Amino acid sequence: MSEACRYEAEVLHAAEEDRWTDALRTHLGGCDDCIAAASVAPWMSRFERISDREHMLPDPAIIWLKAKLLQGTVDTDRATRPLDLVQMLAYLVVAAGWAALLTWRWSTVELWVRSLTPSGVQDVIGAGALSMSFFALVFVLASMTVMLGLHAILAEE
Amino acid sequence: MTMLAAMTLPAHLLAEARSRSGKPDPMEEGRFEMFYRRNAGGLWSYLFRMTGDPATADDLLQKAFFQFIRANPALASEEHMRRWMFRTATNLALDHFREAKRDRGYAEKNRRSEAGPAPEPREVLRHDMMKTFAELKPRERALLWLAHVEEADHQDIGEALGVKSKSVKVLLFRARKRLGELLTKKGLAPEVSR
Repeated sequence: MSEACRYEAEVLHAAEEDRWTDALRTHLGGCDDCIAAASVAPWMSRFERISDREHMLPDPAIIWLKAKLLQGTVDTDRATRPLDLVQMLAYLVVAAGWAALLTWRWSTVELWVRSLTPSGVQDVIGAGALSMSFFALVFVLASMTVMLGLHAILAEE
Repeated sequence: MTMLAAMTLPAHLLAEARSRSGKPDPMEEGRFEMFYRRNAGGLWSYLFRMTGDPATADDLLQKAFFQFIRANPALASEEHMRRWMFRTATNLALDHFREAKRDRGYAEKNRRSEAGPAPEPREVLRHDMMKTFAELKPRERALLWLAHVEEADHQDIGEALGVKSKSVKVLLFRARKRLGELLTKKGLAPEVSR
């Protein structure tokens, strides 16, 4: 049932050329598929023939070259994918590090930022509110942030 | 396309044709050019009738051939490659319509492109026919073109449109009915004698 009617090709040609045989006419009387096909065949045939010749097709050499260039880009993307993944991971680690550090000592950092004068800083450090390990962590995270930033800028260039 | 090639050739020929890396040898530019010159015209006509816009047809044609080259179809027969191209072109055209539907500016752009100096009679005829065809759904256009112009069988049409070949008969019947109704409405339908 899924196949086209076996007379369909003949019906299409007959409809396009308006040359009907008695056998095809008889068949057409009982085949809805062929009636539908015949009702559009002449128009489709004319539609196919309307000229496209004035249209210039793209040059195959250009298409070949573009495809090869695109292929190069795809290959490069594939090769740098692991690197991008590591970079993404580094961004996440640094962001998480900053978040953890600030959450850990937020109240002290807030106090320190509010009293951000040379004497105020001395007071906070002198009182031992922020340890040396805290400043070491800040230094490490700041260095990583700068390195990642520089890497992103250089990679863009 | 490797899959396509695998379907086309017997296993021993396939193994013979593979290079040391295990990948099929790439298609040469000369062979591509020959294939392009034989098939690009028909494919462009199909895309142009589907989209109604020469620039879009150019764009989709290039995309289809980019995919073709990337798919590395060196081992497939010409007929297989041609069918593959029509399937890819159909998918690209249907994707284009989905994107265009989302893009609100599309209708505006089409409206603008219709404006211009008065066309020649042949142009008027083409314009009218294109307009009539454009009233059909993209899938109906593809069905009619593949069946009537490419003379593709139901299995090939089904593959091109991503539907079961069993459904093609019904879909094609409906598409023909729809076009028939449009032609009748415009007074262009032929008399079909029973």
